Amino acid sequence: MREATGGYRRLLRQRRVWVAALAVACAAALLIWLAGHEAAMGAIQRALARITSGALNLLGHRTVVTGTTVASARFGITVVTACTGLFATGLFLIAVLAYPAGWRSKLIGAGVGVGGIFAVNVIRLVSLYYIGVHLPGFLDSAHQLIWQSLLIVFAVALWLLWAGRWARVAREA
Amino acid sequence: MWRVRRRSKPVRLTTQLLRFVAVFLCVLVVLAGLWSFLAPAYSTAVTGAARPLFRLFEAPNVTVLEAREAEIWIYRVVGPGRVAPFTWFDRYTFFAVIPLLALLLATPGLGWRRRLARSGIGLGALFLIHTGYLVASVELSYAAIGLTPIGPFLTNTLDLWQVGVRVLWEAAPVAIWIVLTAGVWRRILRRNREERRRDGLPAEAIEASG
Repeated sequence: MREATGGYRRLLRQRRVWVAALAVACAAALLIWLAGHEAAMGAIQRALARITSGALNLLGHRTVVTGTTVASARFGITVVTACTGLFATGLFLIAVLAYPAGWRSKLIGAGVGVGGIFAVNVIRLVSLYYIGVHLPGFLDSAHQLIWQSLLIVFAVALWLLWAGRWARVAREA
Repeated sequence: MWRVRRRSKPVRLTTQLLRFVAVFLCVLVVLAGLWSFLAPAYSTAVTGAARPLFRLFEAPNVTVLEAREAEIWIYRVVGPGRVAPFTWFDRYTFFAVIPLLALLLATPGLGWRRRLARSGIGLGALFLIHTGYLVASVELSYAAIGLTPIGPFLTNTLDLWQVGVRVLWEAAPVAIWIVLTAGVWRRILRRNREERRRDGLPAEAIEASG
């Protein structure tokens, strides 16, 4: 017990622990600010709608974007804040910042995470369009249940992979 | 679902993660199928736990809750013996129970006893967060449209509180899972690093920092 307390005390004396805690707090504050900022979120939603529409058009659909809505003659989806993957990305970044790795590893992790979650999110939106066209009765479950959970497990697995394989662990003082 | 510590032959991290994702998906499919049967009972339980909290926070108590199958309807007292619908929470509001259980059941290196105990603790914690989310989001909505008088500080920061509550609601299953399984994953990652060091792979390189 005394050893454990000593371990925590030693940990708290390390500067990197406090720097990481500060970085995590900043990331969490930025996430909350961004989620509540209509202009910033609107820009992200419009960009995501355009990218999704581009991907669907590459696959042979004729979709157009109006604001944050991607629509064709057959079906339409609207990209709202929850569809941006912002929360999953934010949590991933917080987990990367909190992990005791060097800053270069953290940067790589952040890049891999943001890119990976963004790509999966585009796949998610494209798949929801397809489900909306071909299996409309399944859309609600796929949107609210299946993809929410898949995004969570993807972010978690990606982080674990990064922490286990790519993160260069900082030396404990 | 399996015990890493008892294995004599080391299992690679990527294999473990693939198994983790595979078990997660299997459990998710099963539990998602069961959700339509479980959700009404869960919503009723959340409603039952939230009622005394509304009574605690409101004077007079103006909120009336009704669990309609898996949905929760919020009514507000508008006169003697009269209520009007205010808002509702759809049947997916509390679905985070399923990914949390799937994450806990898929986590390697936990025995069945510890897995069940942590699932119970995790579900209890998530239930409390869901109950708090229900109460907080309704009270913040009242404040946002002027039904509840609030001070200047809360008025200026109301958006942040609303977003904060939503972020907490979204992050809850992952945060609870991290708290309950951090030790297991720390062991797995440490073992992975040791194995890679033994194999002479470059990922074990340690860099000085801070």
